[in-house]
Amino acid sequence: MKKSGRILPLAVAAAAIAIGLAACGQGTSSGINLAEEEKAEKNTVNLFGPMEKSDPDADNIARAAHELTVLMAEEKLGVKVEYRTYTAEDYLDKTYDEVIADRVRSNMDDIYLLNPDGIQILGAEGALADLSGLECTDNLRDVVKIANTVNGKLVAIPQEVVAYGLFLNKDMFDKYGLELPHSPEDLLECCKVFKENGIETPIGANRWWLECFVLAQGYADLYNGGNTAAEIEALNNGEAKYSDYMRPGFEYLKTLIDLGYIDAGKAYTYEAIDGEGPDFLAGKTPIVMAYWGAANAETAYGKTDFNMQVIGFPSSYGQMPVVSLSGYGIGTQAEHLEDAMAVLGIMLTDEALTVYTKKNQVISPSKNVEVQCVDALKPLNDRIDEGVYVLGSNAGMKVEQWGNICLIVRELLNGASVEECMAQFDRLQEQSLGTK
Amino acid sequence: MSKGKYKNGKKEKKILILSILTVFIILGSFVFHISARITEEMSNSAITNLSESLNLIEGTVEVLFEREAEYQQLIAEGLAMAENPEEFILSYGRKGTVIKMSLIFSGETSGISSTGETFTADGLDFSGYAIGNLPVSGSYVNDMGAWAYTMKCPVYRDGKETATLYIEHIYESLEATLPDKLYNSSATLYIMDSQSERFLLKPKGKGERAAGHLNLDDFYHANKIWETAIQKEVADNIKQGQNVMFYHEIKGQDALIYMWAVNGGMLYLIGYVPIESIQREGKAVNQNILSVVIVMLAAFCLCCSVYFIYERQQEKIRKEQESERELHNRQLAEALQAAQAANNSKTTFLSNMSHDIRTPMNAILGFTALLEKDAGNEGKVREYTKKITASGRHLLSLINDVLDVSKIESGKVVLTIGEFNLSSLITSVDAIIRPAAKDKRQTFEVSVTGIKQERLIGDETRINQILINLLSNAVKYTQEEGHIWFRIIGLNQRSGQYAHIRIEVEDNGYGMSEDYLKVIFDAFTRAENSTTNKVQGTGLGMAITKNLVELMGGSIEVKSEEGKGSLFTVELELRIAEQDTDADFWKKHKLTRLLVVDDEEETCRNIQYLMKDTEVSVDMLNSGENAADIIYEALAEGNPYHMVLLDWKMPGIDGMETARRIRDRVPENLPILLLTAHDWDSIEEEALRAGINGFLAKPFFVSALKEKITEMQEEDNAFARKGENDAEPVSLEGRNFLVAEDNEINAEILQEILSMEGASCEIAVNGALAVARFAEATLGEFDAILMDVQMPVMNGYEATRQIRALEREDAGTVPIIAMTANAFAEDVRDALNAGMNAHISKPVDLELLKKTINLYIRKEG
Repeated sequence: MKKSGRILPLAVAAAAIAIGLAACGQGTSSGINLAEEEKAEKNTVNLFGPMEKSDPDADNIARAAHELTVLMAEEKLGVKVEYRTYTAEDYLDKTYDEVIADRVRSNMDDIYLLNPDGIQILGAEGALADLSGLECTDNLRDVVKIANTVNGKLVAIPQEVVAYGLFLNKDMFDKYGLELPHSPEDLLECCKVFKENGIETPIGANRWWLECFVLAQGYADLYNGGNTAAEIEALNNGEAKYSDYMRPGFEYLKTLIDLGYIDAGKAYTYEAIDGEGPDFLAGKTPIVMAYWGAANAETAYGKTDFNMQVIGFPSSYGQMPVVSLSGYGIGTQAEHLEDAMAVLGIMLTDEALTVYTKKNQVISPSKNVEVQCVDALKPLNDRIDEGVYVLGSNAGMKVEQWGNICLIVRELLNGASVEECMAQFDRLQEQSLGTK
Repeated sequence: MSKGKYKNGKKEKKILILSILTVFIILGSFVFHISARITEEMSNSAITNLSESLNLIEGTVEVLFEREAEYQQLIAEGLAMAENPEEFILSYGRKGTVIKMSLIFSGETSGISSTGETFTADGLDFSGYAIGNLPVSGSYVNDMGAWAYTMKCPVYRDGKETATLYIEHIYESLEATLPDKLYNSSATLYIMDSQSERFLLKPKGKGERAAGHLNLDDFYHANKIWETAIQKEVADNIKQGQNVMFYHEIKGQDALIYMWAVNGGMLYLIGYVPIESIQREGKAVNQNILSVVIVMLAAFCLCCSVYFIYERQQEKIRKEQESERELHNRQLAEALQAAQAANNSKTTFLSNMSHDIRTPMNAILGFTALLEKDAGNEGKVREYTKKITASGRHLLSLINDVLDVSKIESGKVVLTIGEFNLSSLITSVDAIIRPAAKDKRQTFEVSVTGIKQERLIGDETRINQILINLLSNAVKYTQEEGHIWFRIIGLNQRSGQYAHIRIEVEDNGYGMSEDYLKVIFDAFTRAENSTTNKVQGTGLGMAITKNLVELMGGSIEVKSEEGKGSLFTVELELRIAEQDTDADFWKKHKLTRLLVVDDEEETCRNIQYLMKDTEVSVDMLNSGENAADIIYEALAEGNPYHMVLLDWKMPGIDGMETARRIRDRVPENLPILLLTAHDWDSIEEEALRAGINGFLAKPFFVSALKEKITEMQEEDNAFARKGENDAEPVSLEGRNFLVAEDNEINAEILQEILSMEGASCEIAVNGALAVARFAEATLGEFDAILMDVQMPVMNGYEATRQIRALEREDAGTVPIIAMTANAFAEDVRDALNAGMNAHISKPVDLELLKKTINLYIRKEG
């Protein structure tokens, strides 16, 4: 004990001196020039994409999933990906699609996240670079290639295949003893019952996605009848009219509006989810329409207090998912074209898509990546697995679908008649044929 | 440690702990104060730095705006001088920060742009702010998809405003002028249009990538800035174009939020920086201070711990020493107590002994006085002599016991190991105890069961002493007509070489109290009560007994109940001696069939058990009724019994009657022995008349039977010689002895005794004289030498050795008998070793002396 009594204080003193010396030695510079050398700047790639309004308590899975793939690219390539964003504050503002079109044409950025109409329009203008040289294209599903190939160039590749469907409050359907609708008539009947039971607006809608009703009814047979190519060819050469395909859907929408099942005024001004979402989440509206990822995202419908089911839109072929393919495109004149190509090359590899798909629980564009979906999405997923769906956009059609139908539906919402809307289609078709 | 000391120690510890705590608190407060001051100063400094940074950005942006305004004014001047203003405009494409240049002539609503398009100022609101003196439009998204603003500048020609020049810029152009990293990228920075409160630009590399915000409301929403007061304060300041800076928690961290007006509040630099980032240097300083303090405190604590451990160790050592001292003191106290107890005990003993010795001594002296007075009265002389003898014997036993205890206590007792016969031992014990029991009309029962070997090795004398002690106590402490049981029980052997024997001595006497039982085996104790007070004793008997038993490796236990009696149990393991191997004994004496007639079945079974190894067939009968018939039938069948053992006391016909009936039927040559525990003398005559040949003492021993058979055989064979032997007198008449005795009285007594027997003696007062006298004596002058041991000049042993060494014919043969007060076994051994023939202890038993002298003189003769 006496020995240790002497050694311990010495040890403590030694430790204290050692720590003190070590602390004093830190941070001293041996050189005369104290200026910090600037590190070599990394190559920067600008990525333009939409921006959701911030919700501090929500976990934005989609953004997080996308971020992971961006980080992967940054890490592997040693580049810096910078974000630029735009979101319309209200319907009076320029839309994202308008802004992105302007930015692509003005070569403001390198990579753009494009909606289907943007892909087709900008692709047709030759503003988007051909991505078919990327290695990842070998693994892409055919539907992706069909939808996003414009004039023989694959101009955009998505990180997920977006399927739209009807999001239903199953508890409310059960409450009123209603079966989930398959046909347009079924849906009308359901809405009638809801309306009779005091639900003011059975279908919550926004100014973007009502077109899915039109697409589902108009193209159910075209895409599932076994004669797709011939029918598209007939449309492209004018033998068939788009308005004939579109009419049932528009008439149906008109009926929904006239019967008060859709509030056209609100739908015309509502942004996607921001407008109709709160009523759906609050159980005031039993039916809304949204994309697949909304069922997983807390910022959308990923966390409901009721049993939610996602089904396809009613059609003569039953519940019909509408598959719309957005995608990342690169400006032909992009300032950092090479780096942008490399970044997309990494972001779209099977490895990156696996990370994205697992995190986001969506349908991957890669044939090699599959992830089990949440229960709510099973009805929609089952139909897609069966191969039953319609495309929201098809670069093979000379008349751009996704954007045009959306705009014409807005006119319907704004009071235009079905005939006026059909006339718009005819005009577009004539333009595409160059007959006028 | 006393309570006072303990309390003081606790108080000292408390003071020490309080002092340490005070030092800690003072040090902690000091460090906290310093740290807080550093933090505050650093924070103020950081706020100043941040303000300066924001001022710098503000200044940079404003300079850029001013340059743009100056540029526009220069263009306007150029346009004023241009011959074709439209061509002039068209000659400018997109250049630097200029996105679009447009000109509208005065009085017209549209004009031309540098892009070739028609330009109108519709939608552009110039009512708000100005850069320099040029009005600037509100922010809008231009045809490039970017947030833009337009400045307008009048074109004067000849002092007259001829047109208005519009130049469009995009906010993204500001990016290059903004710092790359703000607080190591931990700070966020947006540019907000104050009129629309829209966020126009999130400069790249200025903060978190995911933190895109739409407008001020969204910023509040995203960062949970819900406080109305803050929002109002911000709104008021923005309205007045004032800077705003406030603390708020952002994403769980304290942060400093800033809203910095640019160009008089046209734009705002908006963002936040975590406090942690602002106070990074302060935090580092604080951390270093804290580290130093922690190290110092740790060192301090360690030193304190070492000190405490050292103190505790010292305390422990002190306590150990104290407890050791206490232990020693206690041991000393105990030793003192023990010594005192021993002293008390010995005082008590001496008191007792004084009493016990004085009592017989008083009797001796008293009767001696009476003897002198009544010397003429033969009857009284005899009576007095008897009483003097009894008192002397008692005195002798006292002395023997005291000597034994003394030897035992000093560890000098040595066992004299030798072969002995259990039968003889029990017989001799029986011979001593039975008369004593008979005197008190007590029943004394001896039983032997399970004993296989009779010849054993041990200290017969000491075993005898143990048994006598136990049995004499039983007799002493049992009332008249009580019962005493003496049992010898053979137990299962633990080793083939050792017999395991249990000796039980039980009585139904006075018994002992529980308290006395606890000390019964302690020396100098004696049970005393009204019943036993009259019993005299040294109180040493049981202590001696226990010590002897333990010396032999045995154990002794006692159970007793007052008024009911006691049971002493001794267990001994004694080595088995080589047994009598005279296997032909029974054949030689033609004894192959034996009949035992005894009503006690256990006795019969015991005899059978003991005779098991003798090849003698033993039959049993439990009564004498049919004994004669059975013996007769056996004889008639040609398989006669060669001996009959008859119990004396039996229900129905007793042993005597049975013997008579047997004698009526069978020839006289069938030996009949009477088995009895009673005195043979009283029934000998009747027994002989009944045809009984002899008696065999109970308990039965094979060796006793063999001895009896041998004796009977010898009696038969040497009847004549027996008569001759019987006639030989045991007398010392005519004998002459040399007596070596230094004690004059003893010498005189011996001389008197010998003269009473008709013998003479010559006294030598020491060994040397004895040797000299014997050397001078003629051959046969002395029949024997009676030698005391302890003598002056030369002791008895040395004298004996010298006598034996003399060159005389009778030097080796003359009987030398030790007569000494040294009465222990080792004394006997020493005497024999010195060359003496026998040992007689003092006081001299005349009969013993006569027998011993006769034995040796006859041997020599």
